[in-house]
Amino acid sequence: MTNLRSNRFASCVGFQLAAVLLILSISLSAKAAGVKVIANASVAESSISSGDLKAVFLLDKDSLGGGHVQPVLSKGGATHEAFLKEYIGRSDSALQAFYRSLVFTGKGSMPKALGSDAEVVAYVAKTKGAIGYVSGDASAEGVKSLQVK
Amino acid sequence: MRLTNYKCMAAALLTAFALSPALHAQEFKLGTRSVQVHGFATQAYLRSRVNNYLTMPTAGAGSFGLTDFGVNASSQISDKFRLGGQAYDRNVGALGSWHPTLDWAVADYKAKDWLEFRGGQVKTTLGLFNDTQDLAFLYTWALLPQAVYPVDLRGENIAHIGGDITGRIPVKRLGKFTYTAFGGKQPSDMHGGFVYGITSPPTVPVAKGHITHLDSYGGTSFGGDLRWQTPVKGLLVGSSFLAKDLTTTGINYYWNTKLVQVPSPYAKYTKADHTTGVYAEYTFRNFRFDGEYRRQQRETTTVQSKFSCTTAGVCTYAAPSTSPSSYDYRYGYVAASYRFNKWVEAGAYNSRYIAAAGTNWNLPTNHIYDQTVSAKFDIDRFVDLKVEGHFIDGNGGAKVDRGFYPNDNPGGYGQKTDLLVVRTEFHF
Repeated sequence: MTNLRSNRFASCVGFQLAAVLLILSISLSAKAAGVKVIANASVAESSISSGDLKAVFLLDKDSLGGGHVQPVLSKGGATHEAFLKEYIGRSDSALQAFYRSLVFTGKGSMPKALGSDAEVVAYVAKTKGAIGYVSGDASAEGVKSLQVK
Repeated sequence: MRLTNYKCMAAALLTAFALSPALHAQEFKLGTRSVQVHGFATQAYLRSRVNNYLTMPTAGAGSFGLTDFGVNASSQISDKFRLGGQAYDRNVGALGSWHPTLDWAVADYKAKDWLEFRGGQVKTTLGLFNDTQDLAFLYTWALLPQAVYPVDLRGENIAHIGGDITGRIPVKRLGKFTYTAFGGKQPSDMHGGFVYGITSPPTVPVAKGHITHLDSYGGTSFGGDLRWQTPVKGLLVGSSFLAKDLTTTGINYYWNTKLVQVPSPYAKYTKADHTTGVYAEYTFRNFRFDGEYRRQQRETTTVQSKFSCTTAGVCTYAAPSTSPSSYDYRYGYVAASYRFNKWVEAGAYNSRYIAAAGTNWNLPTNHIYDQTVSAKFDIDRFVDLKVEGHFIDGNGGAKVDRGFYPNDNPGGYGQKTDLLVVRTEFHF
């Protein structure tokens, strides 16, 4: 009986340890990859404040340095989650709910959402005023990187 | 719930689940313009003990009588100009009756971040959820707090034909202010609870009793909303105001002593109808707390030709006379919810409605108190299922038609109503 209990305890502790390590590794990999904020060449600025970046993605702000800007989202993944956590302060479900509340009341449009870094880069490169984000090690050919202050 | 009812709800859920992957591609080109199309649909099952609710026979085997859907299309015409519209249809017991309506249709011009103009039929910004109250998938609740967002009276404040001026003003360390000023004409909801309540015929003709035929109701409405995203992370507070000037015209058909109907035209004018409200919302990690309080003060004048009838049933009319009425309604709610993970959230709210603030609030004929607990299961990104229990005390009595209608409860009201709501929602 005692052995059974100690085995259960050991497996329980082992399971929890594995879970903690898994969570740590996921968060570390997201951190290591980093998030790169990119913009179409038409965006005059080379840097953006974190407040303005949040305002652009919450559709509060649609101009930067006098030029029109529009946000471009990733559909999911570690970079998306890291970007939301670091700059927007909302979960994916909360952000989607916010956009839908605008779309279904006639008070806004749903921002473009794309499935991969390559698609985001390609769309931002060809769309005037587009601002998006990709993982730190993604190629940013054809777009400019925005420094977030 | 009978087995067939389970099957119906399961069928609705499966249909929504099956449709979701097929329908979430929602953008196409019209010439050089990109057009976004979005939609939603919901189906609910309601079963209650004692009283029938929301014009449905909920007190028997329950009812699947709550269905609604909406589809919208919008296009960004230029950097600053956007066009869009949404059709909405519903059937809620005896309400809606599948009469499609234009929910909103707007032209929007954003001159600056702090100055935006909207014109057309515009959803009215009033409190936290007035403009989004149909979008049940945004909330933990199958039914929003009915004291503030009654399903049956949805059409009373949902939109105005006119315009908005709105904008967002960040104030550095003080957070952000969002203002909206609006004005226009309130569209009449001839298939809503207000008309249903006053036109439902009594089940038995009674001498001096009457039935009402409503010709029209409507008028101007204007107001504003100011909300402050405070420097305290996750805390938003705000205040709203709405003023309406409505005119209702129709004919009351009175039964004379011979139980023969005698028509008596009437008109009801609003002298003042002011709603003021305050609200707050606080989110902290996976918790969300919100609450609203409103006061509606209304003064009306009814003009009607009185008549007198002989015992033989011959009636003669007197000159039209005027009778004033005043009303003071108070209502609000507090709510708390928690998201456990990607799939499950749960919460509770307490919703309170007082029909006549100047009289005893404890009377069940003067209040509707609703304690609700709810669980929401997100099946995937586009489909959810909610299970909700309501423990309702009171019915507002004859002072107000709100959820409970005499015609649906011909045997009179019980004081308490326990209500189960199961609702599935789908959007794309």
